[in-house]
Amino acid sequence: MFQGITRISTLEWEVPLGFVPGMRVPGRFFLSESLEKLLEPGAVQQLANVATLPGIIKNSLAMPDIHWGYGFPIGGVAAFDLTEGVISPGGVGFDINCGVRLLATPLAQKDVAGRKDLIENLYHAVPTGVGAKSAQKVTGQVLDAGFGERNDLVRCEEGGFMKDADPQQVSSKAKQRGIPQGGTLGSGNHFLELQVVREIYDEVAAKAFGLFKDQVCCMIHCGSRGLGHQTCTDHIKILEAATKKYQIKLPDRQLACAPISSHEGKAYFGAMAASANYAWANRQLITHTTRNVLAKMFSIDYGEMPLVYDVAHNVAKFEEHIVNGKKEKVCVHRKGATRSFGPYAPDIPSELSPIGQPVIIPGSMGTSSFVLRGTLTAMERTFGSTCHGAGRVMSRTQAKKKFSGRDVMASLALRGILVKAPNEAAIADEAPEVYKPSEDVVRVVHDAGLSLLVARLDPLGVIKG
Amino acid sequence: MSFKEISHTADVKIQARAPTLESLFSETCNALMQVMYGTSRKGLNKREIVVTSDDTESLLLEFLSEVLFVSEVEGIVFSAARVRINGSNLQAEMEGEPFNKDRHAQGTEVKGISYSGLSIRQDANGYMVDILFDV
Repeated sequence: MFQGITRISTLEWEVPLGFVPGMRVPGRFFLSESLEKLLEPGAVQQLANVATLPGIIKNSLAMPDIHWGYGFPIGGVAAFDLTEGVISPGGVGFDINCGVRLLATPLAQKDVAGRKDLIENLYHAVPTGVGAKSAQKVTGQVLDAGFGERNDLVRCEEGGFMKDADPQQVSSKAKQRGIPQGGTLGSGNHFLELQVVREIYDEVAAKAFGLFKDQVCCMIHCGSRGLGHQTCTDHIKILEAATKKYQIKLPDRQLACAPISSHEGKAYFGAMAASANYAWANRQLITHTTRNVLAKMFSIDYGEMPLVYDVAHNVAKFEEHIVNGKKEKVCVHRKGATRSFGPYAPDIPSELSPIGQPVIIPGSMGTSSFVLRGTLTAMERTFGSTCHGAGRVMSRTQAKKKFSGRDVMASLALRGILVKAPNEAAIADEAPEVYKPSEDVVRVVHDAGLSLLVARLDPLGVIKG
Repeated sequence: MSFKEISHTADVKIQARAPTLESLFSETCNALMQVMYGTSRKGLNKREIVVTSDDTESLLLEFLSEVLFVSEVEGIVFSAARVRINGSNLQAEMEGEPFNKDRHAQGTEVKGISYSGLSIRQDANGYMVDILFDV
C-alpha cells in the first residue's frame, strides 16, 4: 500500500489528513488484498482532493471499484452539509445518471438457445454507437406516451423522476443534443446484455425481486446522452466562476463547485436532476424497444417482462442520513457508486421494504453481473452506498495493443456469448481482461456488509455501443 | 505538430505538441475528431466556430466543447481547424464533411472535455498540452 495510508480493518483503509494539503476530513476506501495491487496513486490523490471541499461530512469515501477518473475518483462517494457544503459536477461526471437497470423475462435459457437472431434483432432495434440517432420522439412523460407500465416507475430509484428538476436550467444546446438521442445506447462502456440467472444466494430476496434460477434477463447500461454531457459542460463554466466568487480553493479545476444554497449551486442541482430524469426516460425507451423485440420473437406479453430495478450511479441527491447521532438532510454525491439503501429506508418499493433496495452491479463484457440488496451497514458507513461495477485496470490504448476485437469476439463465442458492436475496436476496448474481476469487487462489498449478494447472472449475448 | 494517446485507465488522455499556440489548438481538435470518428475525414464544407474565455486552458476547453457540440448537433465530422487567437477570443475556420456511418462509426463518443490535469506548457520547441476526454 502507498506510504501514509493505514489499514483500519481487513477491508477498509484510511487516507489521513494532510495526505494532500487542505484536507478537512480523512479519506476512507474499501479494498481486498487481491485488489490492492491494482490501486492507482492518481485515484487515491483524487479521493484526498475531494476531502478538501467545504462542508464535507465524516469522510471522503471510495468503493472497491475505485479508479482514476476526473474530479472525484470513480467509485467516489461524499456527503455535504447543506449549510456549509458545496455541490460539484466533478462528483457526478459528464454522464449524469449513467445507470443500469435489469429487466426480467419469463424465458429460460433453453428458450433462447441457438437464437442468434435475438441479439441481431436487438442490435438493429436499439440505435448504438457514435452518431446514432433515434426515431422515437416523446412529448411529455414517457409512460403517458405509451412507452412502459406504471409499475416501471415504482421499480426505479427516485421513482424514475427527481421532483426538484428544473428544466429551465438545462440550456437550449443541451436540449438540442438530447432531442434526437432518446432511446439510444451511446458508446464506450454502455451496453445492452442478455443474461441468465446462474446462481441464487438469497432465495427470499430473489423471489421478492422477481428472479429465479435459469431465468433470462436483460441488463441495460447507459445514461443521459448528449443532454447530460452538455449540462455538465455548461454548468462547470458557471461553477468555475462561482468557485472564484465564493473564494473556494481547489486542488483540481474539475472540482469546480458552489455552496449548495447559492444561486449557482441550485441552478446546477436543478439542471442535473432534469438530466437525470432524461436518463431514466432514455433507459425506459430502450426497455420498451427491448420488450417489443422479445414479445414478437417469443410470443410473450409486454407485461411479462417487469423491471427488477433501475439504479443511478452518477448523481448528487438530497438524502437523510445519521450524522453525529442525529438524522440530517445532506447532499450525497455518487460518482461511479450505487445507492444501497437498507431495509425500511425511504424510497424503496413497499413490497421490497423489509429486504432493502435491489442493487445491480454489471460485470464486464464476458463476466458475471450481480444483484445484491441494500443494507443498514451501508446506511451507517457509506451514506447508503456501494460499488457500481468492476472498474477498469487497463487503458484503452493498452487494450487496443493487446487485444483484437475479432479475437475477443471469437473467444467469447466459444463460451456461447454473442457480441454485436458498430466496430471491432469498441470490442477490444472493452475486453473482459481490461476490468477487475467483478466477483472480487462484489465480494468486498458483500464481506464489508455494504450490500449483500442475492443472485449472479452470466452473459448470453451483448450489444456494445 | 503531433499528438499521442497516453495511458489513462478510464478515459482518453491526449498529449499534443505544436510550434504555436494556435496550431496546438488545431492539433488537439484533430485528436478529438480522431478519437470520435477515426482517420478518414474530408474537408468538403466550411464552418466557423467562435468562443471566448478568460484563460488559455479554458479557451481550449471552450473551443473543444463547442466543436463537440456542433459536430453532434449538426452531424459534421471535422478534418481541420485554422485557429486564430486574439486575447480571450478564438475564431476557428473549420473544414469538415457530413457524418457518414460507413466511414465515421469507427471511434468512440466523447462525453466531455475535462479540466483534470489540463495544463498548456511552453518550452524551446513550442507548446504542449495534456488533456483528458471523458468517453
